[in-house]
Amino acid sequence: MSPTSYHCSTPPFHARAPARIGQSDEAIEEAGDPSRSVGYNAAGFAPETTRSVPQEALRAPMAVNPKKLRPYDQPPKVRAPIIPDGPDAAATLYLVAAAIWLTIGTGIGMLWAAEQILPNQLAFSLEVPLLSGTLTVALNPATVASGFWNATLYGWLGNAGLGAILFITPRLLGRRLVDEQMATASAALWNVGMLAGLVAVYMPRLAGSGPLTEFPLPVDGVLLLALLLVNDTFWRTLLVARDRVAYISIWYFGVALAAFTGLYAVGTLAPLLNLPDVGSALANAFYGRAVETLWVTGVAVGVLYYIVPRATGNRLYSSGVAMLGWVSWAGLATLGTLGGLVDTSIPFAVTQLGNAATLMLVVPAFLAIANLALSIRGRWTMILSPGTVPLAVVALSFLGATSLLEAIGALGSVRGLVSGTEWPVGVRLFAYFGTATLAMLALADHAFPRLLRRDWGTSPLIHVTLWGTFAGTALAGLALIGGGIVHGRLVVGGAAVDAIDGTLIWFRGAAGAGIGLLALGGLAALLNLFLMYTSGRLADYALPIDAAPAAVGG
Amino acid sequence: MTVHTPIEAGDRGIPRWALGLTLAFFLAGGGYFASNLDGENPPIGGGTASSGGGAAALAIMKGAGCQACHGSDLKGQATFPSLHGVKNGPVSANLAQLGTDHPEDWANIWIAGTDPAVSDPTLRGGMPAFGAKLTAEEIAAVVEYLKTLP
Repeated sequence: MSPTSYHCSTPPFHARAPARIGQSDEAIEEAGDPSRSVGYNAAGFAPETTRSVPQEALRAPMAVNPKKLRPYDQPPKVRAPIIPDGPDAAATLYLVAAAIWLTIGTGIGMLWAAEQILPNQLAFSLEVPLLSGTLTVALNPATVASGFWNATLYGWLGNAGLGAILFITPRLLGRRLVDEQMATASAALWNVGMLAGLVAVYMPRLAGSGPLTEFPLPVDGVLLLALLLVNDTFWRTLLVARDRVAYISIWYFGVALAAFTGLYAVGTLAPLLNLPDVGSALANAFYGRAVETLWVTGVAVGVLYYIVPRATGNRLYSSGVAMLGWVSWAGLATLGTLGGLVDTSIPFAVTQLGNAATLMLVVPAFLAIANLALSIRGRWTMILSPGTVPLAVVALSFLGATSLLEAIGALGSVRGLVSGTEWPVGVRLFAYFGTATLAMLALADHAFPRLLRRDWGTSPLIHVTLWGTFAGTALAGLALIGGGIVHGRLVVGGAAVDAIDGTLIWFRGAAGAGIGLLALGGLAALLNLFLMYTSGRLADYALPIDAAPAAVGG
Repeated sequence: MTVHTPIEAGDRGIPRWALGLTLAFFLAGGGYFASNLDGENPPIGGGTASSGGGAAALAIMKGAGCQACHGSDLKGQATFPSLHGVKNGPVSANLAQLGTDHPEDWANIWIAGTDPAVSDPTLRGGMPAFGAKLTAEEIAAVVEYLKTLP
């Protein structure tokens, strides 16, 4: 076959074959198909026939009897684009990567927990000779803690949150994402950047400074670019579908995504401003608090607002309550970030305003919990079988517990006692692994069958995921919170350092066991996903396509 | 095959219980704010000052910018090690020899950075030498404070 034969004027084989396969030879002959004699795409070499062949027939789709195809008649394969652009391509990439990052993050978390108990025994550094000097790779409590929180926040929750936004948005708006390819490219950028950043965290020369802002500038640039691409896709999709009234999840996603991108941009550019030491430390404190209340919690609540009505099949109890919760959350979460600014250079009233806002953040949390609990009404038996609903219900429980603990911690007397202890770490663990992780696992339970077109198997791994994550987070969080209270009391009582260490080791041990359970839950989730992909029963679900008139599945 | 399945939401306005809950917490938060305006923030990282006698040391450390690298709670961040546990000796491998040679005052020598044994920039890995910025007494006060941290 000459190369030129690929350029026939008729549509390609794959586009027309299904319409004609199955026709009898006679029917094909009646259509005057020239491929009968010289192959499917050799219209230009059609022999003379006794009957005149209408020109329309020559241009019409040609039929092929696959039994008569010769090897060299195989049609040219249509190459898949390097960056997939099919529906849900970006969401699939983000969510699959998230599952892997959950395992990585909790694995590093186990090491972090061990470092809390044996900091000196598990610390070492390695000198790697380079052409221009040496590169030190350091493994110590500080670097391992950085690795743990970064892998959790950006690797697991970052991928899962962005994937959730890209999965849910087209379904709620009834439109495909605008420029799915760009969103898919952002997923690749995000994960490549994350890998590079995680490696850099262990190298003193490369890493930046500040909790959650350790990545070097080039890595930050890549991650910021990925965030901007997701923003572009999200907001343009929203703009195209502006005629549809956006559901409450979209409102949460909008604020969370914009806040995360803005915060990340500030965190990336802050080192270039050469802030004084105190300013830099305050910026880091502000960032850590804001990213938790605005991004982690915002996306989690948005996901829960989608998942609960979807999984139960019930309508949302009240759009008014949902909107009241959103407005109060957006305002109070923004103000609450001021509570992290604790220094003599900050007016006390500003810090107290942040603390009062943190206290009031209980309101949007409980409005969301009540609204969704009332939405489950009549379907409570669904929480008895592991799956989307129980995961979402446990996430809601942690949302309530986290907001209460944050509020208690904002009170002056408590803050004075537990500041600088394990308490804030325990509360953060509740937010990251209790509220957000369980909400994302609920979404994963709902989304993966729709993304991979397979049903979950009947393995007990979902039980391990649910109970491992729930029990692990509860145990580790409570151990750290309890340890923080004991730590604070011992310090106030003037206890000796060795006595404090000796007492806290039990709490740290319990926290380590909790992180171990968490890691087990994460591993079970990844394994379950692998089993589903390799041996799950094929299933058909609706796809996000434009201008869909009817409503099924989703 | 299609997808658009808008989630229906009850259009029942805002129930009284929701309004009541919101108002109650807003009043409580406002009251808390109004009644707690007198006070002063501690220095950043001051959470550890309550461990006793650390105020002066914290002031010195704040001036020297220790928290910028070692974290506001001095528990380390990124690749900068925690300053908790100084009483147990050096954690970093590059300080192991120093800890062996000077078990009592290795931290003072390290922070000062003027001793030829610890002045090599490759060895210091970005840690500034504070010998010219702080007096020996100030460094000693800082080390004493650090040794009180768990």
